[in-house]
Amino acid sequence: MIKRVLTLPALVLWRTFFWTYERATWQYDLLVIVILAFIWLTPPAWLHDPMARGVGLIQWIARWAP
Amino acid sequence: MTFTGTVGKICMFPLSAIIRACVALRIHPNILTATGVLINVAAAWALGLGAFVWGGVIIIVANIFDFIDGKVARELHEETRFGGFFDSVMDRFSDISLFVGLIYLYAEKGRTDYVIVSALAMMFSIMTSYTRARAESLIPKCKVGFLERPERIVLFIIGAFTNRMAAAMWVILVLSIFTVADRIYYTWRELNGGIDIEEELERRLTEIREMRLSTPRRMAR
Repeated sequence: MIKRVLTLPALVLWRTFFWTYERATWQYDLLVIVILAFIWLTPPAWLHDPMARGVGLIQWIARWAP
Repeated sequence: MTFTGTVGKICMFPLSAIIRACVALRIHPNILTATGVLINVAAAWALGLGAFVWGGVIIIVANIFDFIDGKVARELHEETRFGGFFDSVMDRFSDISLFVGLIYLYAEKGRTDYVIVSALAMMFSIMTSYTRARAESLIPKCKVGFLERPERIVLFIIGAFTNRMAAAMWVILVLSIFTVADRIYYTWRELNGGIDIEEELERRLTEIREMRLSTPRRMAR
């Protein structure tokens, strides 16, 4: 199997890029979480978002963290 | 039960009621398809004006029509090959109209960077559908890649409701590129006797490993 010759991170990357999983699988859920994290956590200023109001969750947490 | 599976099941409750109502009223599925496109054009208009929350609401309404048309056709036993073709073509119009709305908005704001991002996202979104359609004229099935139409629409809705459309555009762009690449690779693999790049890589790496193992032994002799 490929698992013997590829390291785990390389295998994960390959399986993520060459996507063959169905909907409603744990792999699908995981990618959905990653996507939602990117959308909601990335500060809009990093992406130069012309429409977003307010700061992203990361900046909001950073502002309130001691 | 997965998270996305649960969300899907919860969403099916109201949709089942709408499907039953359409079946009871014997609404022709092609009328539902055409209505969905018109409502999507209204959603594109709202996005173009920067009214993201309204845009998100209208996208949801439009895509209810898009979602139920096939199911209503099945229930009414009015599934036709033309219906399938018409649905696919109208879906492309719906997709393109949403992107055009955003392109207009970003152009109006003088943001050529996001005009390009949205235009590329539109191009690769259309290519995901085209590569699958073209591939399935050559091979039986080409259902690989993450970003299909339902995912794209959900990303539009999330971007609109949470006012994070730029991030949603980046996700659509990057994942559409990978989906197109996946489909090209998969079709190439199927047309070349099912050569699996993973197996091929494993074979070559094993060869290299064996060569490395045998080289010092020869030198020792």
